[in-house]
Amino acid sequence: MLEIKNLHVAVDGKEILKGLSLNIHAGQVHAIMGPNGSGKSTLSYVLAGRAGYDITEGSILYNGEDLGALAPEERAAKGVFLAMQYPVEIPGVTTMTFLKTALNSQRRARGESDLDAVGVLKLVRAKAKTLNVSEEMLKRALNVGFSGGEKKRLEILQMAIFEPKLAILDETDSGLDIDALRLVAEGVNALRDPSRAMLVITHYQRLLDYIVPDRIHVLARGRIVAEGGKELALELEAKGYEHIVGQAA
Amino acid sequence: MTALATRPIEARKAEAASVWQSHGVPHRRVEEWKYSDLKTALGEKGVGADLAEWRVASLPAGVEMFDLSLSNPPDWVKTHFAANTGNVMGAASLALSAGGVAFRVPKDAAIVAPLKLDFTGPGHVRGLLVLEEGASLTLVEGVGLSDFRNVGFEIALNARARLGHVRISPGAGNSVLVEEAFIRVAAGASYRGHFASFGSKLSRMELQIALEGEGAEAHLSGVSVLDDRRHSDVTSHVIHRHGNTNSTQLFKHVVGGRGQAVYQGKVTVAKGANGSDSSQTAKALLLGEAAEADLKPELEIFADDVKCAHGAAVGDLDAESLFYMRARGIPEAEARGLLLQAFLEDAIAEIAATDQRELVRTELLTALKGIA
Repeated sequence: MLEIKNLHVAVDGKEILKGLSLNIHAGQVHAIMGPNGSGKSTLSYVLAGRAGYDITEGSILYNGEDLGALAPEERAAKGVFLAMQYPVEIPGVTTMTFLKTALNSQRRARGESDLDAVGVLKLVRAKAKTLNVSEEMLKRALNVGFSGGEKKRLEILQMAIFEPKLAILDETDSGLDIDALRLVAEGVNALRDPSRAMLVITHYQRLLDYIVPDRIHVLARGRIVAEGGKELALELEAKGYEHIVGQAA
Repeated sequence: MTALATRPIEARKAEAASVWQSHGVPHRRVEEWKYSDLKTALGEKGVGADLAEWRVASLPAGVEMFDLSLSNPPDWVKTHFAANTGNVMGAASLALSAGGVAFRVPKDAAIVAPLKLDFTGPGHVRGLLVLEEGASLTLVEGVGLSDFRNVGFEIALNARARLGHVRISPGAGNSVLVEEAFIRVAAGASYRGHFASFGSKLSRMELQIALEGEGAEAHLSGVSVLDDRRHSDVTSHVIHRHGNTNSTQLFKHVVGGRGQAVYQGKVTVAKGANGSDSSQTAKALLLGEAAEADLKPELEIFADDVKCAHGAAVGDLDAESLFYMRARGIPEAEARGLLLQAFLEDAIAEIAATDQRELVRTELLTALKGIA
C-alpha cells in the first residue's frame, strides 16, 4: 500500500531524511522508532503533505500513486490520515462542526453524497462512546482547553470516523498517563483491519506494549538503520538507541 | 444628568459652529485623523451643507419620537440635544444640519422589539436617543450608501438603563461615511455596541463614551471584512469618570486587497475613578501584501487601583491550523473561510440580540467568501 523509496526530504534547505525506504502492506502495523531529531516527525509531515517539507529525491507511492503530487486534502480523501503529535487548537470552530465539515469534504471528494447533520451526529456519537469522548467535548471549540489525553482521544475518534486506509500515528503516546494510553491504544487496536495499514511513530517502546507491531524500523539521522520484529523494541528499551544506532553507523 | 437645559439649544449650536469654523475638515496631519484623511477623500466638494435623511423602519410601541426639524421640542430633547459640541465632525453636524430624529424610552419601559433606524442620503444629520431610568432597548442602525454623510448621534442612558446598539455598514466603493456617537452612561446603566463594517472609500465610526456613575458599563465590539480599497475606522474614547465602572472592547478585522482597517481606542480613567476595570483588544488578519491595519490602543490613567488591559495584534492565518484542517480533508479555500470565520467569532458573539447576531454572521460569511 505504501512504498517509500530512497526518500530525501529537506526543510528550509536542510536535509532531514536522507534516503529512507519502507514498504507497508494492507493489514500490517509498522512502527518507526528513533531518538529525538532522527526525522520521525518529518516523515509523518511529508506523508500528510505539509508545506515546507520538500521531497528532493526518491518517491512515495500510495496504492501506486505518487503521493507527493497530491494536496493534503486530496490525500485525506484517498484515505491517508495523520494523527498528530500536537493537535491544533482552533477557537471559534466547534468540534462537531469541524468533524462534519471534514467528513463531508472527504465524501464529496470521493463523489459520495453529504451526510446530513443527523447522520453525522449518529455516526460521531456511536464512535465517541467507545473512546470516552463526551457530548460536551464535541460542543467545545476544537481542542481548545482539552487535556493532552482528550486531544489524543479526539485524534483517534477522527480516525474511527474517517476510516482511513493508511493511518500514521505520530507520537500518539506523548503526554499520556497509563490509563489514557491504554484507552487510546484500545481505540487504535479496534481499527486494525486487513484492509488498513498503520504506521506508528514513537520514541518509546511503551506504546508498542499495547499496539503490537508486525515490524519495527529504527530511524536515525534520516535513514532506517535497523529493522526487526516486535522484539526489537525490547532490545532498544534495554540497550538504548546509542547501542543500535552506533552499530549501524 | 448634566444641567445643559440651562443653555438654550441655539447657544449650543452657535458654539458648535465656532468649533467647526476654527477647525475645518480634518486631514491626515490631525493626529486623530492620521489614518483616515477625510479632506483628501472628499476632495474639492468638501462636506457641503445638505440635510441627510433618516428613516424609521420599525418603531416599537412605547418609544416616543420627535422630528428635530420641527420647532418646540419637548423638554427631554431640550435637556439632551447638543450636549456635546467639542468634536470637530460632531460640531459640523450640529452647525450644518437642520434636522434629524430623536427618540425616548420612558422610565422602566422594557422594549423587546428593536428600534430600526436608517440614515440615508448625502449631507449632515443628527440623532438623539434617551433611555430614562431602568428602560431597555435594542437599536439597529442601518447605514445607507451615499457620496458623503456625517451623522452626529447622542445617546443618554439614565440610571439602570440598558441599550444594545448594532450598526451594520455595508460595503461600498465610493461612499464617505462618518459618524460620531456621544454616549453618556449613568450609574448602573449599560451600553453594548457592535459595529460591523464592510468598508467604503472612507468609513469612520467615532465613539465618545462617558461612564458617569457607579457600576456604569460599556461593551464595544466590532468586525470588519475589507477588500479592494475599502477602509474602515473605529475610533473610540471611553472615559471612566466614576469609580467601579467597567468597559470592554473587542475588535476583529479581516483585510484583503488594498483594504485598510483602523482601530484607535483610548481609555481614560479620570482622577478618583478608582476600581475601574477596562480591557481593549484589537486584532487584524492581513490576507495580502497591500492590506493594512492600524491598531492603536491607548490608556490614560489618573486613578488608583484600576485594572486596565490592552492589546493589539496583526498577523496572517495560522499555517498550523490551515494544515490541520486540510490534512483532515477540508479543501484549502473552505478551510481558510472557516478559520477567518472562527477568528471573528468571539467579536460576533458579543452581540446580545440573536436575530442581529445571526444577521451579522450571515453577512460576514458572504463577505468572507469573496475574500478568502
